[in-house]
Amino acid sequence: MSPGRAPAPPPAETARQLREATAARRRTQPDSDVNPLRAGLRLERVPDPCAFVLFGATGDLAHRKVVPAIYQLWRTNLLPPEFSLVAVARRPYTNESFAAEVRASVEKYSRVQPIDETAWAELAKRIVYHQVDFGDDAGFDRLGEKLDELDTKRGTAGNRLFYLATHPSQVTEIVRQMGRVGLDHELRGGGWRRLVVEKPFGRDFESARHLNHEVNKVFRESQVYRIDHYLGKETVRNLLVFRFGNGIFEPVWNRSYVDHVQITVAESIGVEARGAFYEETGASRDILQNHLLQLMTLVAMEPPSSFGADALRDQKLGVLRAVAAPTPDDVRRNVVRGQYGPGWVEGEPALGYRGEPDVDPESETETYVAGKFEIDDWRWSGVPFYLRAGKRLPKRATEIAIQFKDVPLRLFRESAGDPAPNVLAMRIQPDEGIMLRFAAKVPGLGLDVRTVNMDFAYGTSFVVDSPDAYETLILDALLGDASLFMRADEVEAAWSVVTPIINAWAEMPAPHFPSYAAGSWGPEAADELPERDGRRWRRI
Amino acid sequence: MPLLPVARSVPEIEGQLGRLWAKAEAARARTEAALAAAGEPSDAGGNHVAARTSVLNLVVLAGDEPTAERCAETIAATAHRHPSRSLILSAVDPDGPAGFEARIEGFSLAAAGGRGTAGAETIRIAARGETGMHLASIIVPLLVHDLPVALWWPMDPAFGSHRAERLLPIADRLIVDGSAWSGSGLDILAQMARAAEERRLVVADWALLRQARWREAVASVYDLPDLRPHLGAVRRIEVEYATDRPGDPAGDTNVVRPLYHVAWLASRLGMTVVSPLRREDDGRRVATLRQAGHDVEVILRPAVSDLGPGSTVGVEIASRLRGAELIGRVSAGDRSVEVSILDNGRERVRRSYLGPRLTDVDLLGRAVEEGAPDPVAVQALAAAYRLLGVDWGSHKGTDRHRRDYD
Repeated sequence: MSPGRAPAPPPAETARQLREATAARRRTQPDSDVNPLRAGLRLERVPDPCAFVLFGATGDLAHRKVVPAIYQLWRTNLLPPEFSLVAVARRPYTNESFAAEVRASVEKYSRVQPIDETAWAELAKRIVYHQVDFGDDAGFDRLGEKLDELDTKRGTAGNRLFYLATHPSQVTEIVRQMGRVGLDHELRGGGWRRLVVEKPFGRDFESARHLNHEVNKVFRESQVYRIDHYLGKETVRNLLVFRFGNGIFEPVWNRSYVDHVQITVAESIGVEARGAFYEETGASRDILQNHLLQLMTLVAMEPPSSFGADALRDQKLGVLRAVAAPTPDDVRRNVVRGQYGPGWVEGEPALGYRGEPDVDPESETETYVAGKFEIDDWRWSGVPFYLRAGKRLPKRATEIAIQFKDVPLRLFRESAGDPAPNVLAMRIQPDEGIMLRFAAKVPGLGLDVRTVNMDFAYGTSFVVDSPDAYETLILDALLGDASLFMRADEVEAAWSVVTPIINAWAEMPAPHFPSYAAGSWGPEAADELPERDGRRWRRI
Repeated sequence: MPLLPVARSVPEIEGQLGRLWAKAEAARARTEAALAAAGEPSDAGGNHVAARTSVLNLVVLAGDEPTAERCAETIAATAHRHPSRSLILSAVDPDGPAGFEARIEGFSLAAAGGRGTAGAETIRIAARGETGMHLASIIVPLLVHDLPVALWWPMDPAFGSHRAERLLPIADRLIVDGSAWSGSGLDILAQMARAAEERRLVVADWALLRQARWREAVASVYDLPDLRPHLGAVRRIEVEYATDRPGDPAGDTNVVRPLYHVAWLASRLGMTVVSPLRREDDGRRVATLRQAGHDVEVILRPAVSDLGPGSTVGVEIASRLRGAELIGRVSAGDRSVEVSILDNGRERVRRSYLGPRLTDVDLLGRAVEEGAPDPVAVQALAAAYRLLGVDWGSHKGTDRHRRDYD
């Protein structure tokens, strides 16, 4: 026995000794990955010390969304003190001048006002600006050195989250540079590297596959977080709780009881200052490929075995793979596009799309898309999913509606009106809530039946501020939780549904645009989609 | 909504409640009809059921009228967050003729986002004479069916009293404020321990809820991975609390909050009680805990301070691991909490966390909003009871109950 060392305890032999030895070990050696004092607190884990490297830091997305979200996380003590925000962009700034500029953005866009001066002062101390042209090797070399310095000076411990808030065309070049400098290399003794990429993830199936390939040449898939901010919205996350936290819905959540599903993403705004971007994108790429299909996967997916990132994403992927790629005939029959002309929205005159700034006066870009999709699996076979999204519609509303099948026999023949089928509608925005439509007897001697809506608004039960989607997703990425981010195969599967539509349109004659007035619910042809099947769009 | 006439029987109260919401629904329907006539958009199609998302029954044993008034104000501010039926009870004129008077007030609250309304109602009942001894007979018929009952006892709870015997069995959750109890508060805490164990009560103590910001700050000391092993090597926990006289000579400063700091740490870090809390001649209260084969010294030290008596002034945790000594210190002001870490005498970290004190409205909100017992709070309370020397866990609670607390 070496001097000074305590004698080793006798080996555990009986079940009791084994249990006591295990308990003693647990008491003396707390799991070093877990802080037991965090149990029951707001976060059971806090993000590790890290540098948040924001590419495109002078851009609109960074100023409107990313930096205000970081400020809010900082203000509420959800970021570690050993945190640095490294802003990377092409324009010249000092640390101080950049901090002053983003401060103005935080004042403008933060969801909590006024700015907390103490919190801001602390965060501002942690802002570092790095000027680099994305093609400049030396600039990236210096970035690597600067990050190493921060590890020493600010205690960021080699952990880095790279957030690409840049134009999509710059993604591959930045990733290539990071690979060249070795910024993707995770360290054996700790020191993770993560990459957050903003949508759009490509323009079609091929470009998405190419982008994934380029990104995965440098970063492993487990390091990549593809952000679709819709998935960070509180009510979208609530969809999962609603489906899998309530036992009463699952038995009727299938083709035996559901007649059809409608998903609507309606915007009352036009393209605003994003005419040039929208000209290249259109509603199919901007909304259908991501938001609408993501909502559809959440409604239609099988229950995952856990809430782990891959278990969840595997099930979502299963839905996308069960949607048959539409043929040109399918597109002609089941997909409608439209473009808004002049009209009135919310009491204000609105320009037509072709009159918007930076838009081609002969533009053929669609500002509206509606489609009927089928998911060919045991749960949903034969149940149509009607999806629609558009700009300059009468109101802003995102809603998922599950319409159930009619009763098999109408018992109340003397009633003045037939009761409408049951509908379960989940409003995503605004006024998040859940509505159940059912039949009730009108009070009186007769047997009149009337349809009533039982409306549950989240606001009536919870008035606690919901976090912004970016706050949720940035915190998740810092914690290494990829559940709400899209995986490469998921992105490609979504494109394999949407690309044939875009290709089919390219083969068709020029559309007769504009096809709906701003402030209306879209082109008439879209109404015919459900009407052909004896259904109609919900009045929202 | 206006106050309704005074009711003097349970049927009168029920009748008034029915009329109250019928009027509210009729007013809403009139507004909808007016909007429709003006061509304005109304809520989505179909007729609306007036959905009142009640989430609990809140029964308040206010004791006297001023307390009832204060509680009513807090409830009104919380109603937006937790639509509830609240019954506020006070006993007046105990020697007078039996009877009671009830006043009903309804709140129709605009929901967040401006869509729809949430309904809540408060029934204030002043009981006279012998009726004050039979409050349960008024409360039970007025509870909303199938909703949990939270019993808020804002004054010193009389756990052994006739009133407690009748009221505690109907409660799913007891809400108290240990930091407002008279004297040191420890006698009442010990009584609460026995009542909680006997009746399997879930307790939400504001004194514990108030410490959320402290717990965040203390936990943050050990977020640094290299300091985390020190959690298994704690040697001393010292809590300094405010008093208005040096040494707290009468020992009557409420020490529930300081005790809860220790109890929380003990429960999270697997400490057992070697010797329960006792008072020393110099005014300190001390105890000894045991963690993984070594003793942990516990000190609650009074310090003259401008803070309210019983408020925590600072928490210090000292640990020793392989010859290295670590001291984590946390102190708090109105809006922030300060943390410093001394590593072998050298200051390694000093941080300030934003964390304002919780208001009564925050505390009531937190006390009622959790659907299930918070296991961390349950275990911290159990540790507090054991620190007082209560033979916790040996009483007639069920196995499941004991498991929750252990």
